[in-house]
Amino acid sequence: MNPENCWHPLGLSHSIEAGSSAGTRLLDRELVVWRDNSGVAHVWEDRCPHRGMKLSFGFVRGDHIACLYHGWQYNSGGHCQYIPAHPALDVPKTIKVPLYPAHERNGMVWTALSENPPSVPDGDEPVVPLRSLYLGCGVEAAVAALNACRLVPFASQTPADTTVSRLSDTLFALSCAQDRLLVGIQAISNTRTALHLSIVGSVERYNGAGQSHFDGWALQWRQALETQAANARLDQDVT
Amino acid sequence: MTHEHARFVFKGTFQPASFVEFAQHRAERLGLDLQFGQASMEAVALNVSGATELVDAFEMACSLGPFDCFVLDVVRHDVDLAA
Repeated sequence: MNPENCWHPLGLSHSIEAGSSAGTRLLDRELVVWRDNSGVAHVWEDRCPHRGMKLSFGFVRGDHIACLYHGWQYNSGGHCQYIPAHPALDVPKTIKVPLYPAHERNGMVWTALSENPPSVPDGDEPVVPLRSLYLGCGVEAAVAALNACRLVPFASQTPADTTVSRLSDTLFALSCAQDRLLVGIQAISNTRTALHLSIVGSVERYNGAGQSHFDGWALQWRQALETQAANARLDQDVT
Repeated sequence: MTHEHARFVFKGTFQPASFVEFAQHRAERLGLDLQFGQASMEAVALNVSGATELVDAFEMACSLGPFDCFVLDVVRHDVDLAA
């Protein structure tokens, strides 16, 4: 996988409300994901060109985001359009925040680091958001853990075979009996990975009890991974 | 908004190439026209033109300078191009 040439999930769509922003990291780059009041998601470098303040600390107003520090306002194209200290100034187009492409699919916000990335991972089925998990390991270890995981199906709640399939470089599917989870993998850094989980299916079927069931499973799975990692560290210390 | 042409001499301790690159980047970011004069280890002279507020911002940015330069004094002359 060439991380510069694929789509990366940055979070669950429902976790970024209209009129809000959130900072995140992808391959050690600081990014801000913000959603304007009309509901469109944007992914930008998380840095105001003025003094370097994180734009994720800023305020979303209408279709622009304003830096917390000096209030410089950027339109959805990343151009600074207003500087409160100089209200009459015609702001030059060169004052601009670097932008990344943003798409929403499978209940997640996706971005790419290259200018001409391949198409966004397929997915037009209805999904129900589950949760994001943050793991203290790199992508390879996270994928290995994913390949070894076992789901408990929602309907029967008795163990059944789990099939793990790779849909793209950064999207996996876990299937078990009638249920299917999508897992988007965000490489935060070499030692940190986020997994964004959504349930394939209708809101009527999974909202509420279904979400709680898989949420409990996800937390238990993460706890098992953390215990495993802690034991491995202890073993290493002993030897 | 007023347009201004200013001549600057930054005095201090410089790595000239580093300061020139820094000033060039800031001028591009602020949409200013920039012309360099002489640059030495002790002083860098340059001319900029553009909106007064942005020329002021340029002066502030360059008075901080890159990490390997130390600006001790800034001399600014506003140039009347019509004169």
